[in-house]
Amino acid sequence: MGWITVTIAVPLIAALVLAFAPELEATGVRVVGLVGSIGAFLASVVLAVQFELSDANLQLAETFAWIPALGANASLAVDGVSLLLILLTTLLTPLILIASWNEISDRLRGYVAAFLVLEAAVIGVFAATDLLLFYVFFEFTLVPMYLIIGIWGGAQRKYAAVKFFLYTLLGGLLMLVAILYLYGQAGSFSYEAVRALELEVDAQRWLFGAFVVAFAVKVPLFPVHTWLPDAHTEAPTGGSVFLAGILLKMGTFGLLRYALPIFPDATIQFAPWLLGISVVGILYGAVVALMQADIKKLIAYSSVSHMGFVVLGTFALNTTATSASVVQMVNHGLSTGALFLLIGFLYERRHTRQIADFGGLAKRVPVMAGLWLVVSLSSLALPGLNGFVGEFPILLGTFQVNRTAAVLATFGAVLAALYLLWAYQRVFHGPLEGADNENTADLKAREIGVMAPLIVLIVAIGLYPKPLFDLVEPSVDRVLAEVGVEELPVEPAAAVTREEG
Amino acid sequence: MMLAQTSPQSSLAVPEVAWSAFAPELLVAAVALVLLLVPIARARQQIVAVPAALGGLAVGAWLVTEGLVVPGAITVLVSLALPAAVFAFPRRLSMVQALSAGTALFGALVLTGWQYVVVLDQGQATLSPQSALAGSLAHDGIAFFTRITVYLTALLVLPLGYGYLRERRLNRAEVEPMLLLAAVGMVALATANDLITLFVALEVFSLALYVLTGLARRDRRSQEASLKYFVMGAVASAILLYGMALLYVATGHLDLPGIGTTLGLVTTNRLVAVLGLGLVTVGIGFKVALVPFHLWTPDVYQGAPTNITAFMAAATKAAGFAALLRLYLVAFPGLQTLWVPVLAVLAAATMLYGAYLAVVQRDLKRMLAYSSITHAGYAAIGVIAVSDAGLSATLWYLLTYAVSTLAAFGCVIAVERTRRGEVGLLELRGLGRSSPAIAGILALSLLSLAGLPPTAGFVGKLVVFQAGVAAGFTWLVVIGVASSVIAAFFYLRIAGVMFLEDPDPDRPPPAQSTGMSLGIAVSAALVVFLGIQPQPILQYIESAAALVR
Repeated sequence: MGWITVTIAVPLIAALVLAFAPELEATGVRVVGLVGSIGAFLASVVLAVQFELSDANLQLAETFAWIPALGANASLAVDGVSLLLILLTTLLTPLILIASWNEISDRLRGYVAAFLVLEAAVIGVFAATDLLLFYVFFEFTLVPMYLIIGIWGGAQRKYAAVKFFLYTLLGGLLMLVAILYLYGQAGSFSYEAVRALELEVDAQRWLFGAFVVAFAVKVPLFPVHTWLPDAHTEAPTGGSVFLAGILLKMGTFGLLRYALPIFPDATIQFAPWLLGISVVGILYGAVVALMQADIKKLIAYSSVSHMGFVVLGTFALNTTATSASVVQMVNHGLSTGALFLLIGFLYERRHTRQIADFGGLAKRVPVMAGLWLVVSLSSLALPGLNGFVGEFPILLGTFQVNRTAAVLATFGAVLAALYLLWAYQRVFHGPLEGADNENTADLKAREIGVMAPLIVLIVAIGLYPKPLFDLVEPSVDRVLAEVGVEELPVEPAAAVTREEG
Repeated sequence: MMLAQTSPQSSLAVPEVAWSAFAPELLVAAVALVLLLVPIARARQQIVAVPAALGGLAVGAWLVTEGLVVPGAITVLVSLALPAAVFAFPRRLSMVQALSAGTALFGALVLTGWQYVVVLDQGQATLSPQSALAGSLAHDGIAFFTRITVYLTALLVLPLGYGYLRERRLNRAEVEPMLLLAAVGMVALATANDLITLFVALEVFSLALYVLTGLARRDRRSQEASLKYFVMGAVASAILLYGMALLYVATGHLDLPGIGTTLGLVTTNRLVAVLGLGLVTVGIGFKVALVPFHLWTPDVYQGAPTNITAFMAAATKAAGFAALLRLYLVAFPGLQTLWVPVLAVLAAATMLYGAYLAVVQRDLKRMLAYSSITHAGYAAIGVIAVSDAGLSATLWYLLTYAVSTLAAFGCVIAVERTRRGEVGLLELRGLGRSSPAIAGILALSLLSLAGLPPTAGFVGKLVVFQAGVAAGFTWLVVIGVASSVIAAFFYLRIAGVMFLEDPDPDRPPPAQSTGMSLGIAVSAALVVFLGIQPQPILQYIESAAALVR
């Protein structure tokens, strides 16, 4: 049993402990949750230490017989991309549990257990190298997230939870049909076997379509994004953080890991379309974010916009943009996660999220205001912070492939500055009016402690992103080589003619 | 003919084949008859129990001396169970009957496993199918897997319904014998390899089910359900019989393999044969509740006592599809170009219409009835695939559907026992808080019915969809996907009512009793086990495709 299994097993075991310990008190429940999630984090650190940077292939592989009758094995392995996302997952989960230390008291045991199960499933998604296993983990994330939104969410929680579930389920099931077709061709669910297939271009188009729909719902791409604002707004803080920070990445990860290398011809053929959809999403998300009166909804729409950048970079299909889009997944996880945490802290104090209810808070909560500003700046890609090192190369790489898309997407970055700073201004500056605003308390030590690792990473990645790129680039190059575009990183015109040929 | 030639002295191979082909049914039917006799003795049940047990012991001993250790041991065990139950629970007829019936069904399951190892498998990778009673019974993969599904279902229904029937004073003497006879009839339907046997088997279990549906004599719904089921079932039987007559006219054969060979010939009267095929499809389609022959299902499922509904949903479907598989794959391959598209359209309609109507239901039993219609559509995909993989897939699907639906109905029973009247969505409000175990298991079984990992239902759908895709019916599978999403909506709504709403303080908690909890727990455990580790059963499923042709 290798460390990937350990990383998945530790939170699961903690969840089982919770399930069979109905007598446990609140503190005990929280401690078990923390031990499980920190244990997973430590295991993933061991994984990172064992990881061989120079090797672009999937490594540290583990395989267990699962359903040999169907040619499905429980096989796990990581490459740079999945390792990075696993680290993000194991880092965010304990922070989420600490952040909601006081927020949740109702059915706490279920809440903590749901997060632990969710964490295990997501790590499974990132580490699976068997399509069936991947699908099982992918779909299984729905159940705990449905419960998290539905039980511990806001007023419209039932509607939001069901919408989230059904949207993702429909996409996922279409992908299942495609996976079954691939299985029919390859005779096995193994990623290696499926990747080795030489599929007809026509079949590729349909299958690629099914995979892209499944992942597009998850990302979410325009126009299948409508579940996201509802889910984000209604979810409890921890749920929002997990959703924005990790679950959305399952979509972009899936595109990179499965859609691109398995369907290279369709990828090249449809890449311009996906660039177009991404740009629409970037601009649409930004414009709608600008008009939101609810601060959480604003950040939710900003997610649509920011994840559009990630997909844009992925389908620019060159090392610069595609690697940066992986780095941007992490950046978005950190900064949007941090923003949702701050919104949660603010909501705990004020029980409102309407921007109009706030004003001049910086005078009362200077620490929160300062952190909020840093995180906002990171999210709008200020040079020196992490957002920049992701977004800028994405635009750079896209520019080489498709100038129009890059130029239009840049407007999205401009709009991001507008809505984030404007929201910051309306909440924290201006006159301090009303007793509620007067009496808002600043962050407590626990809350600052939760924010600290995120802020440190935001600054550190912004100043020195090289380790991330070193980790990601070999794997991205491998994927691009499989798509067959590795030799065309600079000259876009050639790529376009090749696509049509 | 084989039977006539058998004698203990000849080499063991010949008699083994003949009797062993339907050994589980013999056992269950014998116990059913004895259990019908037990109540005659009223308080002095040992008058029947002891002689019956002695007879059984004698047969068991003889079997052991013949070298048939496993059947002998099972016969001894089942024979001892009856007097043991009588002496342990004097004057508690229903307990005696339930225990004895349960032992018989357990014995039947063991015998089925024994059949597989000794007779079918014979140490080879593929099954060697055999026929018995001059070819009127087939002993092959369909028979094997239907036995497992039907006997397992009946075995689990016994404890699930015991307390429920007792509380409603429905635990009358005919329940367990009828249940056993229904199970035997269902398995006989799955093994029937000629039209006459098929029809008789169908009638055996149908008659038993009409009685069981109408158990609640003072409940108008139950009476209505029974009458409706009977009248419509009789019409369906008549149609089926007419179809069989036409098939006989067209081919001159009653045995399915014979029909199959003749239909392939040019000389066959195709028009008559096609009419026969159509009418037979209607008759069996009624039993498995394919749209548009499903109209009886909601009323009957809602009106029947819930444990009977569970049995009908899980076992009738398994038996009906077994017959459908055998008819289409053995008798009608010659008309494949005709029935495949028709059945595909029926399956598509079934999946969509069932799911669509389930959405608007508020009564849980009714909703599960529509969901069972939907599942008939999924199971049909495997038939339409006309492949070994499809056949295995349908059989496997029926097993996963059976365990999921048993778990679901088990939870409905638990809630229903402490409620007056029906179980609607309102009755489930906040169940997740007031009794998390029942609510959790109900949610789990609904997830399984919706086909989400990691449950049995997921692996079921996976295998069926895979067979469909492999056979080129991707469009049908996509419709299946659409129907799954619609279905997920109403399964989720139930889960939502249970977990996302607060309980009414004045509602009594669900009932608890050892038997019921055991039945629910075993069903739920199977749902999880077959979902996470289906290999132990699934590895045999491919061998099921070997049929007596």
